[in-house]
Amino acid sequence: MAKKRDSQKDRKRQAAKGVSRRDFVKKGTAAGVGASAAVLSTSGTALAQVSPVTAITWHYEADVVIIGGGCTGLPAAIRARDLGASVIVVDQNFDLGGKMLHSGGWVSLGGGDPLQLRDIKGEGDREGFVTAPRQHTVAELTEDPDFLFRDHTDWSVMDTAAQAPYRYNERDLHRAYADNCYATREFLMANYVRFTRISGTHGNGGMSRARRATTFLMEGSTTDIKQGTISRRDAGVAGVSSSHFAPRVMGDGAKIASTGARTNGAALSRGLEFSAREKGVRFLLNRHMDEIIREQQFSGRVVGIRASYSPRLDPVTGAQLQSLWQNGNVDDRTETIFIRARKAIIIGAGGHGANPQFRSMFYPAWREPAFVSSGWALLGPRGQDASGIIAGMRIGANLAGMQQNLGYDSTFHFPGVLATRDPYTDMLPGHPTFSMRGSTGIALGSDSFQHVIVVNQVGKRFFNELLVTRRQGGAWFPAAPEKGQPKRGLDHVQLDWRNASVDNIRATYAEPNSIHAALAMNEGSKAPDYFSGPIWAIFDRAAVERDKWNIDPPFTSPTNGFFFSADTIEELAARIHADHEFQRIPLTYLAETVRRWNAYVDKGSDPEFGRGADAPMYRVEKPPFYAATLYPVWHDSYGGLRINGRTQVVDMQGEPIPGLYAGGEASGGGQQHGLGRALVHGYIAGTNAAAEATGTR
Amino acid sequence: MSEHVAEASTPISSTVMPHATSVVAWDIPSAIVAGERFRMKVGIKCSNECRLTNGHFGVYDHEGAQAATGTLPDERWPGTTGLYVAEVELAAPASEGLYTWSVKGLESDSGPHVESSISFGVRVVGNPEYLVRVETVDGVSQTPLGGARVVMHPYQAVADARGVAEVRVAKGAYRLFVSQTRYLTFCLPVEVTADMTARAELDLAPVPERN
Repeated sequence: MAKKRDSQKDRKRQAAKGVSRRDFVKKGTAAGVGASAAVLSTSGTALAQVSPVTAITWHYEADVVIIGGGCTGLPAAIRARDLGASVIVVDQNFDLGGKMLHSGGWVSLGGGDPLQLRDIKGEGDREGFVTAPRQHTVAELTEDPDFLFRDHTDWSVMDTAAQAPYRYNERDLHRAYADNCYATREFLMANYVRFTRISGTHGNGGMSRARRATTFLMEGSTTDIKQGTISRRDAGVAGVSSSHFAPRVMGDGAKIASTGARTNGAALSRGLEFSAREKGVRFLLNRHMDEIIREQQFSGRVVGIRASYSPRLDPVTGAQLQSLWQNGNVDDRTETIFIRARKAIIIGAGGHGANPQFRSMFYPAWREPAFVSSGWALLGPRGQDASGIIAGMRIGANLAGMQQNLGYDSTFHFPGVLATRDPYTDMLPGHPTFSMRGSTGIALGSDSFQHVIVVNQVGKRFFNELLVTRRQGGAWFPAAPEKGQPKRGLDHVQLDWRNASVDNIRATYAEPNSIHAALAMNEGSKAPDYFSGPIWAIFDRAAVERDKWNIDPPFTSPTNGFFFSADTIEELAARIHADHEFQRIPLTYLAETVRRWNAYVDKGSDPEFGRGADAPMYRVEKPPFYAATLYPVWHDSYGGLRINGRTQVVDMQGEPIPGLYAGGEASGGGQQHGLGRALVHGYIAGTNAAAEATGTR
Repeated sequence: MSEHVAEASTPISSTVMPHATSVVAWDIPSAIVAGERFRMKVGIKCSNECRLTNGHFGVYDHEGAQAATGTLPDERWPGTTGLYVAEVELAAPASEGLYTWSVKGLESDSGPHVESSISFGVRVVGNPEYLVRVETVDGVSQTPLGGARVVMHPYQAVADARGVAEVRVAKGAYRLFVSQTRYLTFCLPVEVTADMTARAELDLAPVPERN
C-alpha cells in the first residue's frame, strides 16, 4: 500500500524542506541565537534572521547576486554584466531557465517596441530568417508607452469571470514597464533571442494592441546559438522525444517566421543562457537560497545570502542531474554557503505555486498537498516554493497584488492531462526530468471528456465532465464579447465605463466554476485541512477504443500510482485506495456512481449535472475499467513582494530595502501572464543593481 | 459461511470465508426493437481470482423472471486477471420502454462464493421506420470523417470510410450528435418525420496555448 499523506505529516515534511533542523540549530548556535528565539514558518524558513552579518564568513562574493536563473534572473544577470558588474546566479535546480525554458516563448511587450516597428515597416529580421508576412494591420501595431500604460492599468476592463485584470496593477511598476518595453525587446534581440512576427497579445497583456511574439531557432544540421540554428533532435519529435536543450518539443513557426523555424521558450531561454555564460556570469546551480541577509533584520542594506546544496538525482539511475552547458558553473557541493553581494541582490526565484501553505493564503482548498505547480518535475520539489518571497518578508518586505491570483484563468486550472501528477509540463523521454514525471499523461481535449466520468476522493461525480477542464479566456487583445468586452478589436475603448457596466457583465459572464466544485469539501474531507483529495477520471475499454487513446507507457505508468486498471469497478476502487499516495480514504461511492451513471445513459439525460444536452453519453461498462488522475495545477503566481518602478523591494513603510530587487513571479502588483513581465523586471533590476554603490561590509 | 474441521492428528478448526464476486455486463445494444432478440456479455470475477469455469449465472427481467442462463467458459477474458465471460441471447420485451434487468451469479455449485448482481437498462423501441443519413466531413478540408460516431439517443451508428453513417430511428425529435477524436462535437436538433439526410461539418478542437 502506498504511504499516505496526511496534513500533519505534510506540514512536517514541508518544514524539513526549507531548512534542516540540524542546519538550523547549528547556524543559530553559531550566531549566538538560541533555537527557541526563531520561529519556523510553514515553509521551514526561520522568520527571525538567523545569520547576523558579523558572524558570517563569506564563501563567494560578487557585485550582484541573483537568486534564480530564469526569466527574471537571466536578463538581470546579462544586463548587470553589460554594465560592468560581476554577477553570481544561484538556482536551486540543476539547469537554468526555470519555467521559461519550458514555456511557449511568447513575449508580450509593446508600447511601440522594436518588433512592432519592424512589423509596421514590413521588414524582416537582421539575419533574414523572418519572411512570413506580418499578422496585423499597422493600426493594430501602432501605440506608444502612454497608451500601453493606460491599457495595463485600465480600471474598466472586465473578463468573462467578472474579474478586473488591470485595475489592481501597481501604477509605478507599470509605468516603468511601459517605459522599458522598447529597451527590453532591443536587449533581448541583442542577446541571441530571435522573434517571430507579432501575433496577438498574451494573457492580460492589454486589450488594445498586438504585442506578442514567440522566439525561434531555425532547424539545421547542428544546434548553434550564434548561427540561430537547432538540430531536429534538439528541437524534439512530437509525441516521441524531447531533448535536454528543449524539455518541450518545439513548435512549427512557419506561419509567423518562416519554414523551418522551431518555436518555444527554449529558443529564448537557451539564447539568454548562452549569452550570460559567454559574458562571464557565474552560476551556482543545485543551490537553494534559504536566507537573505541584511545588516540588521529590518534595517540597513542587504549584504548577501545563505544557500544550501540541493542536488537532484535521477530516481531510476541515482545519477545526479547536470546542466546542459557547464561553462561558468561553480561546482561547490558544500552543504551551506554564504555569498556576499557587494552592490545588490535580485530575487528572481519564481512564484509560490508549489508551496501549499503559501498558496492557501489565496484559496484554502489549495492547501491540498497532492496538487503541484506547473514545472514540478522540471524544477523539482523546491521550485516555485515561495522562498524568495518569504526571504524578503523576513527582512521586512511588503507584499502586493495578493488578490490577483484569483483573477486569471490559468493561475490554477485543469490542463486536461490524465494519469500524471504534473499535468502541465510536457517533457518526453530525452529530457533528464522525464523520469520524475514517470508518464507523459493522456492529454484530452474537453470534448473527449464525454467518454469519462470524473469523481472525487469518495467516488462521487461533482460536475458536468465536459466543463471540468474548460476555461473561459481572459481579457486581452483582440477585444471581443467572448472575452468580456462590449466591443471588438480596435473598437475597444480604454477607460470606458460601459466596459464594466452591469449590462455588459450580464451579457458576457461565462465562468463555468467547475474547478471550484472539484476543490470543494466532500464526505472524505477531514479537519483541520478538509482536503478535497485526488480527482479521478473513470472510464472503460470502450472509451479507449472509441476515442483512440494510447494508454500504454510512456503515456501512463504501471507503477507511479496515477493510473490503474481492473476487471471490475469494485476492484478498481480498491486499487486506487491501496496504491495512490494521496487517496487517504476508500472510494466508497464509486460502484454506485457508475451504476447510476449507466442508468442516466440509458435514459439519455443526467439530472445531476446536465450531461446529455451537450454531447453524447456512453455507459462505463466494458472491462477492463480504468482510473486515471485528473489533477489541477497551479501555474501562474500573482501576488508577491511589492516592488517599485525601479524593481526595488519596498518595505512596510513604503521605503525601498537598500540593495534588494525583485521581479517576475516573486513580485506582486502585476497580473500579466507570461514572460514579458518578468523579462522587463529583470532588465530594469539588472540596470539599477549594477548602478548601486558598493557596500562596505 | 460454512465451517469445516480438518482431519489431522491435532484437530484444527478453520473457517472458510466465501469469496466476494463481482458481475459486469456489457455490449447491451442501446436500442432494441420490441420483441427482437439481442445479445450481451456477462462477466464474473472472484475477489480471490478463483477459476470460475462452469460457474452459472442468470439474467432476470424487470419482473424478476429468469430470461436466460449462462455458463462461464474455460478461459479468462483476454486482458483481464480473472474475469470469466459468457455471451447470452435474450428476447426483448414486447412493449416500448426502458426496463431494468439484472444478472445474478455465481449460482448453485460454484464453490464458496457470495452471489452478486448487477442491474442494467434495456431500452426497447418501436419500429425505427425512418432512415437518417449523416454525412460527416472536416469543416475546413471537407474530407470525410470515417469512424465518426453518430448518436441520436438511443440510436447509434459509426460512419464508414466515406464518412457516411446511416441510422434508423423512430419518428420524433432528437439531438443529432457527431463526435470524432480531436474534433469538437457537432450537435444539431432534428425533427424526424421522414427519411432525411444531414451534413455534419466538424471543426478541429483548438489546441490550448500555453506559456
